[in-house]
This record gives sequence, structure tokens and C-alpha cells, in this order.
Amino acid sequence: MTPDLMLRLQVETFLYEYAALLDEERFAEWPGLFAESPCRYEVLSRENVDLSLPVPIMSCYSHGMVRDRVAMLVQGTLTYRKMHLLRQVSNVRAEAATDGSVIARAGITVFQSDEEGVSSLYIVGRYHAHLTRHQESFRITAMSVVVDSFGIDTMLAVPI
Amino acid sequence: MASDSRPDTPWPADDFSRVPFDVFTSADQYAREQSHIFRGPVWNYLCLEIEIPQAGDFVRTWVGELSVLVSRAEDGSIHAYENSCAHRGAQLTSKLRGNTRRHTCAYHLWTYSLAGDLVGVPMEKGVNGKGGMPPHFDKRKHGLNRLRVTTFGGLVFGTLSNDTPPIEAFLGPHAVGQIQRLLVQRQPRVLGYLRQRIPGNWKLYNENVRDPYHGSLLHLFQVSFRLQQPTMRGGIRMDADLKNTWNHSILTEEESGNRKTLADAYEGTGKFAPEMRMADPSLTQVPLDLGDGYKTTILSIFPTLVVAQVDNTYAIRHLRPKGPNLVELHITYLGFESDTPEMTQDKLLTSNFIGPAGYISLEDGEALRLVQEGIRTRRPGQHEMLEMGGVGDIRDTDYLSQEISIRGFWSFYHRIMGEAA
Repeated sequence: MTPDLMLRLQVETFLYEYAALLDEERFAEWPGLFAESPCRYEVLSRENVDLSLPVPIMSCYSHGMVRDRVAMLVQGTLTYRKMHLLRQVSNVRAEAATDGSVIARAGITVFQSDEEGVSSLYIVGRYHAHLTRHQESFRITAMSVVVDSFGIDTMLAVPI
Repeated sequence: MASDSRPDTPWPADDFSRVPFDVFTSADQYAREQSHIFRGPVWNYLCLEIEIPQAGDFVRTWVGELSVLVSRAEDGSIHAYENSCAHRGAQLTSKLRGNTRRHTCAYHLWTYSLAGDLVGVPMEKGVNGKGGMPPHFDKRKHGLNRLRVTTFGGLVFGTLSNDTPPIEAFLGPHAVGQIQRLLVQRQPRVLGYLRQRIPGNWKLYNENVRDPYHGSLLHLFQVSFRLQQPTMRGGIRMDADLKNTWNHSILTEEESGNRKTLADAYEGTGKFAPEMRMADPSLTQVPLDLGDGYKTTILSIFPTLVVAQVDNTYAIRHLRPKGPNLVELHITYLGFESDTPEMTQDKLLTSNFIGPAGYISLEDGEALRLVQEGIRTRRPGQHEMLEMGGVGDIRDTDYLSQEISIRGFWSFYHRIMGEAA
């Protein structure tokens, strides 16, 4: 197996774990996938990115903000429509940077299913993440999710 | 009177403390709104002047269900017209924004000036002396369907009615003052757009922004982290028509220490988490740009415009109805030309308060969905009830737990729709 392919498999494994953790609503564990510092997470609309406008849909600029973003989900104090979400990660590409970090890119599709078993497409977008090696896996130092579906259905209560 | 004094009419209470659920769900009602309201005597918000700074700049927006182009002409004047060719009705452009010298229909290349005049018809005189438009055809009579345009404080408005009053009279004194405060005393610039498609009727959002009662009850983030409390000081002001509302809140130090009041207000709800602390409170520590003590000011202009300051965020919210059961909430998020790079970064930080993922707004999408879902099958003749803060007279208040300004909205709605008393 070539090093490129090995790297891609490692990144895929990490992103699949990331998606499964959120799908399973293990929100308290989500911050553990991020490095302490630097630490950045953003959901951006394609419209703003294409216009070079900076405002995010959701943003965390520190590990504390990542923890705060899921605090009310963990506590159960947020009022939102509870949907079963399925995040499908696709078209994964991985690139080793010279400093040993890894740049990961992937497509992300999120389906939502309600209590009566009716499903629809919720989010279509792309991950662009900077990863740092951590034990046998990675930690995220920066992650942006650029969403094509920026006309957000109802609300965005949970991270993508 | 708050009582159902006229039980046989859809609007049984003359203080509008009863609102028929039908107005949120009926397709007929929705169709009448397009003619009576959006094509009626109101100023519809179109865009900001700063979004079309150069000659040829245009944006595509919505007036109710109507697709509208707003263009700046060579002489700097602003024009608005329906995005539909005078010939066969094709949409002129699907682009949201751009710069062009002419608007040309893709179908037969009919061409319009930036003012909306028809200036080019291919083969108008025929080919080799054959065909062409008939002799009486006059391009001047086939321009685009124009809206009358006015601007105020950098906001561009359009109307399809000749009966719409002058803009300042339409806005009223509180709106004029707040537009000056939020959009004129500093030159705004667009930091981005946020869009949220809420599965509820567009008027439910009008109720929501005129309803400070829900603020600290639905939005627990503020309460959890001591940003706002039911005891917070503030009030509401309306224009003479009662259609436009300005509500505002001021957070005082002695009140932010009053945890007992808070615990009482949430007793038994299971939603009060007094031990929650932010791991990184930097978002809540951004100083307010304006040193005038207002924590939140929401200016709601009939029918679809909201100019909002929430903490240190500044935004234009525009409602774009998509049928009786769906509304797009389109947010133009603002910074200011005088902002330092640090202040701009702070505005990206505080943008976490608003929009579809906003700590102080995201539940509104769910609340509206719950109402629309809840009333979908209510029996004809049933009503919502609005009595919080007092019944009878629709008047300004110096308290926030009220639904009086919602009744103001309905009194004007009832009037403009020409509905039976």
C-alpha cells in the first residue's frame, strides 16, 4: 500500500468516526476531536465564500467555544427539532503538509429523519480540515464546512 | 374588549386579542395578501444602497412572491421592476446580483435599459422587408413593470401602489430615529448573508419580533449565561398605524444579580441550569459599539423588514414568503466602515448570537414550526389569544412581557386587508 493511500485511509477512518460520533449524539465527546490550540471550527455558506464575505453561519475560534457550542445540547436546555441525522462523508482526499500536519477534504451530505420515519436532505457541503497527528489518529486544528444548502431548513442546532 | 364580543365574525375581539388561525394557513388568504399587502399601499424593503454602489449594479430580491430586480442606472438613480420580460414573461435573470449595462431576455433577446425601458427588439422591422412587429408597435409602451422606488437611511424601498404614503410618514418617528441610530450615524458595510427557511407563515415571524414575552423563555442561552432575564427593563413603541414596532431592552447591573427571580420564573420547567458557565465567554464580553445603553433593539417595519441590534450584532432581516406554510428569513449582517479589524473580528464572533445557528435566535425557527404544525388542523373559527401585558387599548409600554404590539400588527393587517370588522 502506498503512503498516499495509507494516509487517505487514516483520514477516512477519522472522518467516519467524527460523523458517527455526531450522528449518535455523543455531543460531549465532540470537543475531544479538536486540538486544544489552535482550534477553529466554522460552518460557512457558499454564498458568502463566493462573495469573499466573512460572516459564518456557526463559528468557534477556541476549544472553549467548541465546548460551549454543544453545552446546551449536552444539558438538554436547547429547544430544537430533534431529528435523526445521518452524515455521509464522501470523496475523501488527504494531503500531507511539510510540517507533518494533514489537510483533509471531503464531501458531506446530511439526511434528516423525523420521529415518524420521514427522511429528507438537510445539508450538502464540503469539509476542509487541518489535522494534526495524535497517537494513532488525529486532532482537528481547523475545520470549515462550506455548505451549498445555505438556505438552512428551520435551524442549525447541531454541528455538521 | 378582550372578550369575544362579536362571536360571529372571524375577528371577534375589537382589540385584536383574538386572531383567526385561518390567516396563517389559508391559501386564499395568502393570495389576497399578495394583492392587498405586497402590491398594496406599503413600502416593501428591497435592498441596501451599498449593495448596488456602481452604475449597472443590480440585485434580485422579492416583494412577497414577486421576483424584483433593483438596478442602479448610469445617472446614479435606482430603479426596480418585475423580473419578467414584457414580451412572453420569461424571467430576465436568475443571478442574485451582478453588474450589467442592459437586462436582456434570453428567449428572444428583448433588451431593457437599467431604468426598465424596452430599448431593443430583434427583427423589429422584419428581415428583408418581411415580417417584423406591426406598424403600431411602440417600444415605449412595453417596458418592464416598474415599482416606485424611494430610499431612506440607505434602505431601498419599492411600492406597486399609487396610494402609498411618503416614506417618513410610513415609517413613523421611532423607525426614523432608529434607522438614523443604526444605519446612518455610521456607514454600514455588508459582512455576509444568512438564510433560514422556516416552515411557518410569514406573519408568525412578524408576531415573533413583536413579542419580547418569549425572549427569555424560549431562548435559554441568554438566561443560562445571564445575558437577559424576565426582569429586564425595556419597552415598546409603535407608529400611529400601530403596524411598526420598536422594542428595546436595557440590562442593568442590579437585575443581572437577581437569580432568585429567575429561578422562580422557570420553576418546574426543567430548563433552568444555573450552574452553566461558558468555557470561553469572549462572545459575551464584546463591548457594545454604541454607548447608548441599549442591549437589544428590534425595529419591525410592516410588512417584511426588521432592523435589529442584538447585543453587538447589527442586521437587516427580510421576510420572503414562499407560500402560506414557509418563509425564508434573509439576513444581511452588517459591520461598519469605521470598524477596526478587531471590531470586525468581534462581529464574526458575535454573529454566533443570530441566524439559523444563533444562540439567541435558533429556537425561533422551531417555535414557528411548532405553531404552524399545531394550527394546521384547528377547526375553522378558532383563534389564538393575545392578552399578555393588557387588553383593550393598543398602546406603548415600559415593560417587555407583553403582546400588545402584536395586536397593533393585527389591527393594521385587518385594515389593509379590508376584512370584515
